[in-house]
Amino acid sequence: MSGAAATLRRTGGRTDTRTLVTLAVALPITLWIADQIEMSIFMAFVLWVLIAVRTIFHSNDKVQRATVVALLLWAIVLPFFEEEGGGFIEDATLALAYTVFALGLNIIVGFAGLLDLGYVAFFALGSLTAGWFMSSFFANAGGNGVAILVSGPAAELPGIHMNFLLVLVIAAMICTIAGMIIGIPTLRLRGDYIAIVTLAFGEIIGRIVINGDEVKLGKVPLLGGPLEDVVGKGATLTNGRQGITPVDKIKLPFLDPFLSLKLRPWYFVALALVFVALFVNYRLRDSRLGRAWIALREDEVAAASMGVPLVRTKLMAYGTGAAFGGMAGAFLGSYLNTVNADQFQFSFSIFVLSMVILGGLGSIEGVMLGAIVLSFINNNLIPDVFNDYPSKVGLDFDLTELSFGIFGFLLVIMMVLRPEGLIPERRRKLELTEGVGVGDTELGTGEAMYEAKA
Amino acid sequence: MTNGDGDALLTAQNVTKVFGGLVAVEDVNFEIPERAIVSIIGPNGAGKTTFFNMLTGLYKPSFGRIRFNGKNITGRRPDRIMKDGVARTFQNIRLFGTMTALENVMVGQNSRMRSGIFGSIFHAPWVNREERAVEAKAHEELDYVGIPPDEHDFMSVNLSYGDQRRLEIARALASGPKLLLLDEPTAGMNPQESAELTDFMRKLRDERGLTILLIEHDMQVVMGVSEHITVLDHGQKIAEGTPDEVRKNPRVVEAYLGKQGEKEPEEGAQRPREEGDA
Amino acid sequence: MEASTDAARLPVKANTWDTVRRYIGEYGLIALLLVMPVVYGIQDLSDTGNLTRLGENIVAGVSNGAIWALVALGYTLVYGIIELINFAHGEVFMIGSLTSAGFFGTIGLTTSTGTMGLILGLALTLVVAMLASGSLNVMIERVGYRPLRSAPKLAPLITAIGFSFILQNVGILWIAGSPRGIPDLINAQKELFSIGGVSITNGDVLAIGATIPLVFLLTTFVSQSRLGKAMRATAQDPEAARLMGINVDTTISLTFLLGGLMAGAAGLIYALYQTTIWYLQGFQAGLIAFTAAVMGGIGNLQGAVLGGFIIGIIQQISDNRIGGEWTNAVVFAYLVLIMVFRPQGLLGEETREAG
Repeated sequence: MSGAAATLRRTGGRTDTRTLVTLAVALPITLWIADQIEMSIFMAFVLWVLIAVRTIFHSNDKVQRATVVALLLWAIVLPFFEEEGGGFIEDATLALAYTVFALGLNIIVGFAGLLDLGYVAFFALGSLTAGWFMSSFFANAGGNGVAILVSGPAAELPGIHMNFLLVLVIAAMICTIAGMIIGIPTLRLRGDYIAIVTLAFGEIIGRIVINGDEVKLGKVPLLGGPLEDVVGKGATLTNGRQGITPVDKIKLPFLDPFLSLKLRPWYFVALALVFVALFVNYRLRDSRLGRAWIALREDEVAAASMGVPLVRTKLMAYGTGAAFGGMAGAFLGSYLNTVNADQFQFSFSIFVLSMVILGGLGSIEGVMLGAIVLSFINNNLIPDVFNDYPSKVGLDFDLTELSFGIFGFLLVIMMVLRPEGLIPERRRKLELTEGVGVGDTELGTGEAMYEAKA
Repeated sequence: MTNGDGDALLTAQNVTKVFGGLVAVEDVNFEIPERAIVSIIGPNGAGKTTFFNMLTGLYKPSFGRIRFNGKNITGRRPDRIMKDGVARTFQNIRLFGTMTALENVMVGQNSRMRSGIFGSIFHAPWVNREERAVEAKAHEELDYVGIPPDEHDFMSVNLSYGDQRRLEIARALASGPKLLLLDEPTAGMNPQESAELTDFMRKLRDERGLTILLIEHDMQVVMGVSEHITVLDHGQKIAEGTPDEVRKNPRVVEAYLGKQGEKEPEEGAQRPREEGDA
Repeated sequence: MEASTDAARLPVKANTWDTVRRYIGEYGLIALLLVMPVVYGIQDLSDTGNLTRLGENIVAGVSNGAIWALVALGYTLVYGIIELINFAHGEVFMIGSLTSAGFFGTIGLTTSTGTMGLILGLALTLVVAMLASGSLNVMIERVGYRPLRSAPKLAPLITAIGFSFILQNVGILWIAGSPRGIPDLINAQKELFSIGGVSITNGDVLAIGATIPLVFLLTTFVSQSRLGKAMRATAQDPEAARLMGINVDTTISLTFLLGGLMAGAAGLIYALYQTTIWYLQGFQAGLIAFTAAVMGGIGNLQGAVLGGFIIGIIQQISDNRIGGEWTNAVVFAYLVLIMVFRPQGLLGEETREAG
C-alpha cells in the first residue's frame, strides 16, 4: 500500500526533529533531577545516552536489543557508583520493589483489562507472610523457635525463621490463591463493578490485618489444633495496630550481609525480582496465554466465541499478577523491617494503578518507567526536593500536605491529556500507520465492551 | 431435508428465546445438512442474530434443544462450542483492535493449542514448536482469504474494511471448524466484492468440506449461493425451501414488502445498512 | 437423533451451579440479610426476655440508613443514566458535611441558640449544603466525565478517583487530618420518646424526618415532571432521547445536580447526628452507600432507599454485637456476596446474559 509507505516517510521525518529537540532538552533536566535525588551524575548521563540511542534508532532491531542489554547492565552496575548507605540507593531499592508491583498489576489491568482496585491486598498478604515466617511473631512456636534454612543470630531467636527464598515462594503461592479467590466474584461483572468488588476485598483484607490480633489461631474451627501446634499456643493472626516488627533481614549465601546501612544487597535482590517479573511478563505477553488476555481485554464476547475460556483466563491473570504482589510484599516486609496496617491503605492500590496508567496500560517498558518515576516523585521529590518551593515563592504551606491533592490532580490531567500513557503499548507498530484510526484503541480496555452494550 | 451427504450436521428443535417480556425467537426448528451452504433471512428484528447467538452459545435458549455433530450443545459455553467445531463472524466487525492481523488469527487457534503458562514462561521446546506452527498456519489462513503478506503485521484496525471482513473469516477458519456461521458477511460490500465472497464460500465448502450458514440481507447473494433458505419473521419460521420456493412464497413477500402484492425483491435491492470503508 | 419433541419443549437444563446461583439469588440474599437480626434477636430473647436491644439497633440502623439512602440515591441516579460509578460522590457528601459545619459557625449557631433561630439556621444551612454539593457534583461531571464520554470506561473511573483525592485534600486543608467534633446543635442523643422500651432520640427523628420528604420530593420529581421524564428517557436510550429533542447533556447535568443535592442534605444530617466530621468520612460513606445502592438494585430509586436502611441496620448490629472495627469488613463482605449471587440487587431486574 503506497499510502502506508508515504505515511511512514512523513512520520519518520516529523519524529526525528521533534525527538531530537526533546532529547536535547531532556539532558539538562535529567542531570538536574539526578543531582536532586543524589544519583551519580555520571550514571545519569550514561542513562540518557542509552535512552537517546534507543529512541533515535527505534526501528533498528539490533540496536534495540543491544540497548536493552546495556540498560540491564547499567542497572547492575549503578549501585557501585553510589554511596552504600545513601539516600539514592534507598530510594532506588524502593522504586524497584514498586516496579515489581506495577509489573504484577500490569498483568491484571494492562493485559487482561480487569480493573483491580484492591491490589494492596497482595502487598498485605506478602508482607504478612514475611512477618509470620521471618520474625519472632510466633514466639511460642516449636519450643525454642523454628529455623528453616537460616543460620546466624536469627536461628537462635524464638519464632519461626525461614530462609527468605522459601518465604518468597510461600508468599507467591498464598497470593496466587488469594488472587483467584478475589477474582471469582468478578467473573460475570462489568468493568466498574470489578473495580468496586476488588476494592472491597482490599478493604476487607486491610481490616483483617488491623484486627487480626483478636483472631486467635487456636480457635479456628477444625484446623485450630494443628495450627497451634505449628505456630505455638496463643498465636494470633496478626499483631493488630502495632504491626510485626522487627522482621529478619534477608540472608543469602555469597552476598554481603544485609544490613540497614549497607543497602547494596537489598538493591540487588530487588533488581533480581524485577528481572524475574520482566522475564515472566515478556514471555507471557507473546504466548498463547498473553494473546488470550489481550483478546479478553479487547472484546470478551468475541474472545469467547474464538475459543478463549473466559473463567480460566481471568483467574490466571489474577493469580499471576497477585503472585508478584506477594513477592514484592515479602521483600518489603523485610526491607522496611515492619509489617503494619498503616502501609496497607487504598491509596497504595491507586498508587500502583497510576504507575501502570502513567506508563501505558499493557506496556511493559512504560509500566517500569511509570513505577520508577512515580516512586521517586512520591518518596523523594515531593518530601525532600519540592517541599521548600512554596515558601520560596512566598506561599505558606507544606507541600507534603498537598501530596494527596497533587496526586489526584495528576490523575485527572493524565486521563484528559494522555490516557495512553508515556510509552503506549504497541507504539512501534502503530507509528507505522499513524493517523489511520488509532486514537483511543490504544487504551483498549473495555472499549469493545462499551460498543457492544450500546 | 438432508442432502445426499447424510445426517444433518446441526439440528435445532423448538428453539425459543424469551427476554423478559419479549419473545425474540419462537419455536424454531432448523436443520443444516453437512457440506451445505444455507441461509437465514428475514426482515430486521426477525430474530436472526439472536438465533445465531444461541447456536454459538452467547445466549442460552429458553426452550428447545440444539445438537451439533451428534453432541448436545444446548446452552453450552461459547468457547466449548467453538472447540466442538462451530466458528463465526460478527455482524459488526469484532476484531481485536490492538492486535495485528496475524495475532488475531493466532487467537482463533487458541482452543487447538496446548501450551500452558509454565511452558510459555520457560519456552519449552514443544511450546516453541507449537508457536511456530500456529504462526505459520495463521499466515496460511491470511493468504487463503486474500490478505497481502505485507499486511499480516498491520494492526487490525488499520486494515481496509474489506480486509477486516476477510480477517474475521480467517480468524474463524483458523481453528479448523466444521460449521462456519457468517453474520451478514457482505454488509457494506459492492456487488463485485459480494460475488467474490460467494465464490469464496463455495471454495470453502469444496476445498475444506465446511458447512456454511449465512445470515444475509443481500438477496442476490442469498439466492445465488444458498441451497436452502429459512425465513424468519418476528421470531418465527415462516417459510423454508430452495431459493425458488422461497422467492415465490407469498408469506415471505408479505413479510418483506407488506401486503402489497407479489412483487419480487429487486436485484441489488437497497441494503438496510451503509458501511463505508474504514 | 431422537425425535422427542416433548422433551425438547422442556426448559433447557441449566447446569447445577447456575441453578444453585439462581436459588441463592432469589432467596439466599434475603436469608443472609435476615440471619443477623434473627440470630441476635433470639439471643436477646434468651438473655433478657425482650427485644429492646435489637429494637435499638434497628432504630439506630434506620437513622444511619437514612443518611446512606440519600447518598445511595446519588450513586443510583448517576449510574442509571450514564452507567458510571461516580467515585467522587462520597467526597461530595463529605464536602456537604464540612460546608454545613462551617456554615454553622458563620451564622453563629450554637447549642444555646433558641429553637426558632435553630430551625431557621438549619434550614438555611440545608439549602447552602445542598447547593454546595449539588454544584460540586455538576462541576465534576463537566470537567471530569463529559470530555471522556467516548473513552473507555477506565478513564472516567480514574478521573473520579483523582477528584476524590483532590477533595480529600481540600478536606484536610479545611479541617485538618483528624476527626473534629462539632457542637451538638440538636442534642442528638436526647430521647424524644420511646416505643416499647426502645428510645427514639432527637437525632433519629431528624434523620428520618428530613430524609422522607426529600426522598418523596425526588421520586415525585423524577416520575412526574418533564425533566424527570427526560432523565428516565435518557437512562433508557440516550440516542432515542436525543432524537426526541431532549438535551442529553443538560439532562445528565441535572441528574448530577439532584444526586449532589441529596448528598449535601445527607452531609448536614450526618454532621448533626454524629457531631463529628472527618475528611475520610466520604471514602467510607461512599463504599457503604454504594453497597446500599447495589443491594437495592442499581438504577432503582426505591432500591437505593431500601438498601440504605438495610445496610444501616446491618452496620448497627455489627457495631453493637461484633465490634465496630469489624463492621466495614462485614458490610463489604455483603457487597461481595451480592455481586456473586444477585448482582441486580433486591429490586433490580435480571439482566441479559453475555452478548
